[in-house]
Amino acid sequence: MFRSPIRRRSDGTYRFQIPEAYRELVRHVVEADLRPGLTTDDPDLHRLFPPAYGEDDDRNAGYAALAGRELVDRRLAATDTVLETLHSERLTREQLEAWMRTINDARLVLATRIGIEDEEPAELDDETSESAELNWYQHLSALLELIVRALSD
Amino acid sequence: MRSTGHRVRDTAASTAPAEVVEPDTTEEVDLDAPWVVIVWNDPVNLMSYVAFVFRKLFGYSEHEANRLMLQVHNEGRAVVSSGARDEAERDVFRLHEHGLWATMQQD
Repeated sequence: MFRSPIRRRSDGTYRFQIPEAYRELVRHVVEADLRPGLTTDDPDLHRLFPPAYGEDDDRNAGYAALAGRELVDRRLAATDTVLETLHSERLTREQLEAWMRTINDARLVLATRIGIEDEEPAELDDETSESAELNWYQHLSALLELIVRALSD
Repeated sequence: MRSTGHRVRDTAASTAPAEVVEPDTTEEVDLDAPWVVIVWNDPVNLMSYVAFVFRKLFGYSEHEANRLMLQVHNEGRAVVSSGARDEAERDVFRLHEHGLWATMQQD
């Protein structure tokens, strides 16, 4: 039977034995994309901050003023946790959820950059400049699936 | 949402209605009407992830979380909670914290 490298232990913590290459990939997208983008209002990160009230611009502005900073701070805090536990092979549930949210944020940003607009698994095209980012996106998707599966058990 | 089995185009979240219905200003707005929180389909969030977030944030059973996730996936949107405006806003905030496309409107 397939044993996931991420799974719950009897003491409630999680085994987290993912390959080093995955940890380096997460570190890279956190340091190169997510953290700089969160502190500079990068348009590629707008997907992380949806309008709460649909078409109601006044209320959207009110919500953004109230919640925007807090959403940024919580995302930065999650990336702090990821970087602090980058090489850990055992995580608490809270730490694993920080990895989950950070990886999902990174996927959303990469999807915006690549231009993923439908649900068909994207084709890898070596000719395009996005092929590296598409590759990262697919690896992060696989890692996220394992994390969600472990947390759902 | 992203799945590997079949293709469902996401149009609900990005397509604006062709005609905008002007609000009827002669009608009293019911200030006590509950607000509903809507999650919209998107091409990136994983189906398993969306169901997990519903369970975590709202305490839904696995069955109910999967039902709502599939409703988002198949119909383009689903109402995931409702209540007073501040409660709805808190739910929207927590969904945004998890990267889901959520909005709220008065029912």
